[in-house]
Amino acid sequence: RRGLGVAAGPPSTRQLREAEEAAPVFQYAGKAARRKDRVFVWGFSYSGALGVPSFVRPDAGWKKPRRVQATPYRLETEEKISSAACGYGFTLLASNTRDITKVWGMGLNKDSQLGFQRSRRDQTKGYEYVLEPSPIPLPLEKPQQTRVLQVSCGRAHSLVLTDSEGVFTMGNNSYGQCGRKVVEDEIYSESHLIHQLKEFDSRVVQVVCGQDHSLFRTKKGTVYACGWGADGQTGLGHYNITSVPTKLHGDIAGVNIIQVSSYGDCCLAVSDEGDVFGWGNSEYLQLASVTETTQVNVPRHLPFKIGKIKEAACGGTGNAVLTEEGNVFVWGYGILGKGPNLIETAVPEMIPPSLFGWSDFSPDVRVAHVRCGLSQFAALTNRGELFVWGKNLRGCLGTGRMEDQYFPWRVTVPGEVVDVACGVDHMVSMVRSF
Amino acid sequence: RVPVLADHPLVRGPRFRKLKIGAGHRLDVKASGVFVLGIGHGNMLLTDLYNCHLTKVYTVGGLFGKATDDFSDTGNLVEKTTFDHITREKLERILAVIQGTNQKALLMYSNIDMKTQEAYELAVKGLIRPMGKSPPIITAVRCLQFALPEFQLEIHCLHETQQYLRKMVHEIGLELKSSAVCTQVRRIRDGVFTVDDALPRTQWNLQSIQEAIQNCQLKVETELEKTL
Repeated sequence: RRGLGVAAGPPSTRQLREAEEAAPVFQYAGKAARRKDRVFVWGFSYSGALGVPSFVRPDAGWKKPRRVQATPYRLETEEKISSAACGYGFTLLASNTRDITKVWGMGLNKDSQLGFQRSRRDQTKGYEYVLEPSPIPLPLEKPQQTRVLQVSCGRAHSLVLTDSEGVFTMGNNSYGQCGRKVVEDEIYSESHLIHQLKEFDSRVVQVVCGQDHSLFRTKKGTVYACGWGADGQTGLGHYNITSVPTKLHGDIAGVNIIQVSSYGDCCLAVSDEGDVFGWGNSEYLQLASVTETTQVNVPRHLPFKIGKIKEAACGGTGNAVLTEEGNVFVWGYGILGKGPNLIETAVPEMIPPSLFGWSDFSPDVRVAHVRCGLSQFAALTNRGELFVWGKNLRGCLGTGRMEDQYFPWRVTVPGEVVDVACGVDHMVSMVRSF
Repeated sequence: RVPVLADHPLVRGPRFRKLKIGAGHRLDVKASGVFVLGIGHGNMLLTDLYNCHLTKVYTVGGLFGKATDDFSDTGNLVEKTTFDHITREKLERILAVIQGTNQKALLMYSNIDMKTQEAYELAVKGLIRPMGKSPPIITAVRCLQFALPEFQLEIHCLHETQQYLRKMVHEIGLELKSSAVCTQVRRIRDGVFTVDDALPRTQWNLQSIQEAIQNCQLKVETELEKTL
């Protein structure tokens, strides 16, 4: 013990050790800390599709309007979002909660693809652009019991899949893509009409929107289609429009289809045995492996010898499939992901797994999902990393740069990416925090 | 043969009067491991090896629960935190993210135009590397041992300093919502030289040094030819 008139001097080892043991211990995360679910958006913001109003109408003096959000930006949502879909300038977010509000929409609403959004300034009119996620009122019979499973968006229409009340469609119906009869000179903006579709041979488990057509996959493995058919994308054997969902035959008759995909005018379906079937537009060599015609209106089996296929994704001009081993194959036209020299191919080409993070150091990295936007591709690995490539339209790749990306590039997201939805010029991802 | 007086060391003097010794990549006081030195003509080879920009491998030991001001366990204590919520899985997730962001930095600082076919081919083979000045980049991380509160990582990196590695351990601790300090930094490979080629303190004599130089000559030549 030192006297009162003596200086302190440097602390001895014993004093340091005692001070360290006496220091308080902080707890930042307990054993029960859960990982949180977050939503990240990026891309073109002036349509309101990103759901951040301050990018379009700055609410503070120092903020400037942000036309393009080039890197992932966190979107605060009230509920945990389980499904998201990006259309052409608008976005739908859905949660599988039992609360009354299950679906939120933002972006373009000129064809009521987000339902009727009552304007606050004039109660009789609706909003043409919705800048932040706004609830979409669905005419459910049992709103506190039904859950929304999945949403899908096309060019100007959207589909909402519920577990017990069928499929709800809203938006433009000039080609019958909403599954109801086409009304001449119908005005789609500020419309309250949301149509309900229930007549399928069994419960619908997946809904997919193409540009102006809709595809429904049921539990029994059959596929129904309605909408525009001038490129044969309805697969019903003719090139007319269909306004009632009709069952597809052709090469998929009797086949148990486990996944359907479409975004432009071409469609792909994957069966439980790992075969892939295609129909629709083939101007970009998407179906050139079976036929020379540029429109195919009946589903045809694509005889690729690349292994058992797990998932398929259709873009505007290019397609991608994922095999059971975790390899990604691309074909079609455009930036396919194998460098600037590969612009078009009719036969699927594999993207080397080393571009997705596979190496001798980490040999168990596999691609788990593939998704397509109009001219972009996205791949999710089993480590939760997101890789994008394709045309970087208005910053929609999220890489932080505005140049096109000719091979898979990592997107830095603070979390493990669970799912991603690609649109024309924006993307939405669902992420779990670390 | 008659011994010539002129050959006697006391007459001719010491064989080596001055030695030009150059040092390779720096290793600071608290770290240990492989340290490359060049003697005489070897200094020119050292510059060439530096321009090859080869990766170095470190084993970094860390300890959860403490945060200090200089990121090592001998510094002044800043904070103590709990760490029982940390699992090996969480640590590996963080390491995957670190690898991902550094992979991007690797491609960006290599100054290759991303739009060319050759950039694509190099990226497929994994040969893209910054061949000039760049901030520290980590090419691979792996968790070797994990026993709370201690853990050990193997880090492959470029253009780094040991303090940067200690800071990385600290940041891993922060990311896992706790804190970590670095207990050990040991370089186990520097380009082509590994721990097996290195001479411990007991072997710092002329004979072993000459043998070591001869053993490594071939490796160094092949590496220089490959890159330049």
